[in-house]
Amino acid sequence: MSDETTIPPRRLDLPVVARREAGHQFVRLSLGAPPDWVSLPGQFVNILCESDPSAVTASEGRPVESEQGEWPQATGLEISRRWPVVRRPLSISRLARDKDRVWIEVLVRAVGAGSRFIQSRPVGSLVNLVGPLGNSFSAPPSDDDRLCILVGGGCGVAPIFGLADYLAARGRRALGFFGASHSGDMPVRLLRTPQPTGDRVEATDIVGEFADAGVPTVLATDDGSAGFRGTVTQALEAWMEKSWDRRPLAFFGCGPTPMLKALGDLARRYDVPCQVSLERFMGCGIGVCLSCATKRRDAANAKGWTLRLTCREGPVVDSNDMIWS
Amino acid sequence: MTRPNVDLCVTLGRIAMRNPIATASGCSGYGEELARFYDLSRLGAIVTKSITLEPREGHLPPRLIETRAGMLNAIGLANVGLDLFLREKVPALAAHNVPIIVNVAGSTRDEYLQVAAALDAEPRIAGIELNVSCPNVKEGGIEFGIDPQALRSLVEAVRKRVTRATLIVKLSPNVTDIAVTARAAVEGGAEALSLINTLRGLAVDPWTGRPLLTNVTGGLSGPAVKPVALYMVRRVWQEVAGPRGIPILGLGGVQFVEDVLEFLRAGATAVAVGTANFVDPETGPKLADGLKQALEKLGCGSPRDLVGAMDLAK
Repeated sequence: MSDETTIPPRRLDLPVVARREAGHQFVRLSLGAPPDWVSLPGQFVNILCESDPSAVTASEGRPVESEQGEWPQATGLEISRRWPVVRRPLSISRLARDKDRVWIEVLVRAVGAGSRFIQSRPVGSLVNLVGPLGNSFSAPPSDDDRLCILVGGGCGVAPIFGLADYLAARGRRALGFFGASHSGDMPVRLLRTPQPTGDRVEATDIVGEFADAGVPTVLATDDGSAGFRGTVTQALEAWMEKSWDRRPLAFFGCGPTPMLKALGDLARRYDVPCQVSLERFMGCGIGVCLSCATKRRDAANAKGWTLRLTCREGPVVDSNDMIWS
Repeated sequence: MTRPNVDLCVTLGRIAMRNPIATASGCSGYGEELARFYDLSRLGAIVTKSITLEPREGHLPPRLIETRAGMLNAIGLANVGLDLFLREKVPALAAHNVPIIVNVAGSTRDEYLQVAAALDAEPRIAGIELNVSCPNVKEGGIEFGIDPQALRSLVEAVRKRVTRATLIVKLSPNVTDIAVTARAAVEGGAEALSLINTLRGLAVDPWTGRPLLTNVTGGLSGPAVKPVALYMVRRVWQEVAGPRGIPILGLGGVQFVEDVLEFLRAGATAVAVGTANFVDPETGPKLADGLKQALEKLGCGSPRDLVGAMDLAK
């Protein structure tokens, strides 16, 4: 949705420079990116999950140094056993730059074979990705001092971290809301042990990634084991009823579909602009497989809607444009 | 062994390809998406998404899922329609200096004829690939693709309208004997055959009983179908294409250079890359570069030397 320019997507082998586990099912990988890398919050990379790394090399068509000699070296039987799967699209969660070096971070939740493969990549190994892909969140115009409400649910908090950094660098004010199912399994860096607050909404600096950007955060858990008891959108609603001083707001969200739908409903009720980042299965991420289509409102179409690709006309969409059914 | 100078050129009907690597229909959009990653002129040809007379939105999602070593899709022939394709997509694609093959789908005989004739009148289009094998929409031509008499009659009728472009017929694997439909297509006037389209498949949520695709059934592609595709290429090459000098565009699970060698040996003159474009958008040009090296290693001066070359000695 942003008008800012970025770089065209490329296929790159990037080294894993740091790997940190979070909770039981999350891994954060920091990847060394080329110096000309530019990406905006909300954009994603599509990461290869290759069961046989040598197969990638063989398909490059370049000689491989090995005991078996020069390429081609794979036997017919070896080839028939290769088990490739399509890439896994992952939001760029954070972007760091230091003179001529750039790092991008991805947050990976263990779901199936593909995500577990990516999680298992050790420091020093190469990760093959295509990116940056997709559109990005749009910050309010520079003369618009509205408060940006950043809402992340579970692993969906990934692009929200990068958005917090981005807004902080541009001097925008923001308030974070982060929700998880329970306190024991959160994909965030907690600066201290979280305490339950029941139905009380409390913004603190407990979430490290938001604190780095100077963004106070309200924590919510479904079971009430940490912070507000309830969903993250219920926490936001409680904040609006009790603590909101009626200054103009803008919502930004990423998380499970029910959360995004609830956030969109809340935005409509209070007439707040709302951008959400969608997650969909993608065959390619570059607009050729047509699998990640979502229903969007379209008055020009007789049906009232049209299908749009999440990878090209997304993942960030205006929640008013979505038809969630 | 001295290494030969490898010439990768092949011809598919009257289409001169600078190498035997094409992209498969439905897996390379209208070219512009892949052109963000490489110069399309590094391909032997590009085969576009299926074009129908009117624009089509396709099926509702989910319309593609991953399976073991493959994918099951039911996109439903989503495309911009003939008019917009000719007006916008062809001029954009023509700038890339790569032979354009347009896949054509229809719901009626008349629609096939109308679309094929309009495409034949556009000189920037090198070939027309008749899709008589889409398993996913009832209008996708599969009734032509599985009935040899209907297929022969359709190809004959299209042949009368297509006088300039090379006419290719894309065959369905969802038949008892693919040699029968291959023969019908060639007798109807096909100058080349492409095979295989996807295999019809099904995936169900075991706990809820819901099909995983909105369309219920879909077409299976990717490495999982490669052995089936190789067998069918071999069968068609032996029974129909080889004896009559009809080139085969082989596809189904082509991802690595070794796969290209296998398809050539089974009887294909050229191959098309489908699902692998999703895994790596640069697969096509990499296969072309890699094939040159592989042929050098094999001591072959041309991919033509390998077509049908299997060692069946006991």
